[in-house]
Amino acid sequence: MNSMAGMGNTTQPPVPTVIDRPAQASAKLTEKVLVRNLSFYYGSNKALKAVNVPLYDRKVTAFIGPSGCGKSTLLRILNRIYDLYPNQRAEGEVLLDGKNILNPGQDLNLLRARIGMVFQKPTPFPMSIHENIAFGVRLFENLPRAEIEERVQSALRRAAIWDEVKDKLHANGLSLSGGQQQRLCIARTIAVKPEVILLDEPCSALDPISTAKIEELIDELKDDYTIAIVTHNMQQAARVSDYTAFMYLGELVEFDNTSKMFTTPADRRTQDYITGRFG
Amino acid sequence: MAMMTEHTTKAFDADLQELARMIAEMGGFAERQIGDAVDALNRRDAALSQSVIAADVKIDNLQRDIEEKAILTIARRQPMAVDLRDVVSALRVSNDLERIGDLAKNIAKRVEVLDNELNLQKVMRGVEHMTELVLTQIKDVLDAYARRDVIKALQVWRGDEEVDAVNNSLFRELLTYMMEDPRNISVCIHLLFVAKNIERMGDHATNIAETIHYMVEGRALPDERPKGDNTSTTNVPYKN
Repeated sequence: MNSMAGMGNTTQPPVPTVIDRPAQASAKLTEKVLVRNLSFYYGSNKALKAVNVPLYDRKVTAFIGPSGCGKSTLLRILNRIYDLYPNQRAEGEVLLDGKNILNPGQDLNLLRARIGMVFQKPTPFPMSIHENIAFGVRLFENLPRAEIEERVQSALRRAAIWDEVKDKLHANGLSLSGGQQQRLCIARTIAVKPEVILLDEPCSALDPISTAKIEELIDELKDDYTIAIVTHNMQQAARVSDYTAFMYLGELVEFDNTSKMFTTPADRRTQDYITGRFG
Repeated sequence: MAMMTEHTTKAFDADLQELARMIAEMGGFAERQIGDAVDALNRRDAALSQSVIAADVKIDNLQRDIEEKAILTIARRQPMAVDLRDVVSALRVSNDLERIGDLAKNIAKRVEVLDNELNLQKVMRGVEHMTELVLTQIKDVLDAYARRDVIKALQVWRGDEEVDAVNNSLFRELLTYMMEDPRNISVCIHLLFVAKNIERMGDHATNIAETIHYMVEGRALPDERPKGDNTSTTNVPYKN
């Protein structure tokens, strides 16, 4: 995979790839992100009510709940996407590695490089596949061209799409199928070496096979990234996540190990929702 | 326990109810088989014993149907939490009931071997008493299953001690008869198996009780069941 073989300069440091964070040695649970007493307002409407929830490092946390419960709202606070819109404000804290990112002094571009997001509808840039990846990398880092190539290839490999696009890196990103576009978006996200990846119903628009490929990808990615996924599909939450948070009407009703949540949930509302007795 | 609300998809409720109905049917039939088998034994009724043996296939078929229905429900509905435990419990209970049916058939098979020369009145009374106890246990536990009644299930769970006690005393009695007169041995051995079969039926009833607890509470019973069967260490010394 080392395309620098012909360069001859052996004093260069090894090309950083997207997998250069050390693997977690111990099984100790650490909180990568901690949401503390978080409330959120759309105008005067209180959409989130004093939510407390952790995202454990290198684990997948799923957010489930009926429409309007606040799960997507919560996700969008984690990388402060809501800042783009007027009349929306948050109260409380969101700690990333112990530091509150809701702080007005927080550098938002830096934040959004550390916390990446993939949306429900695949949103590749209207550029070539190669540029989709390289664009973001160039924004954050000043890398020589060969290293950018390496980073592009590494990201596409990591997102399990390299074999399908390696011969057409200059084709437009929009020419790919839905499932491929979504994996391209994931590659784009991980190319800038985030620590946390937020997925907002990433498979809702995809067919079962593409969905399965992305779920498999999530399973591989969690070795290196902390992942939060919002999903309407309970079976998907049960399949991919380590922890699950059930939300209802802006509140966090229950948070637990996924295996426990789906076999013996503690709260009656959780059980009603996951067994299809809701509404 | 509070009644659960219905599923948004009514067909799901129908599936679970059908499973419960099939278990109730299988349980009722098993109870009848036990009663008939011991009755046939008591009256040396060969015709009745034959019909018990023949009817066992119906229980086997019911178990197969329940298994099929349970697996289909899992495939189609992807049940979670309490629903998943419901379906798994139906599978487990059907296994216990099928074994109970086999044990009843095994008792019926021995009817023809038992000659009428030996006066077995006393022993048969013991067997009948044990049968009554076990039939009550089975009836109670199936009731508890239908109503998801954990308290009643726990009563059955503890009640097995009494069945074991009667079995112990029958065991000793039969050993004594055998030592008195070797001509008794054949008959007593068969009755020993009959008693053992009934005692095993009682154990299956406690299995069902444990399943009920798991189904409702979501975890296994924490305690060791009080086990009163000490026949494996019983010895009646031969007095010459």
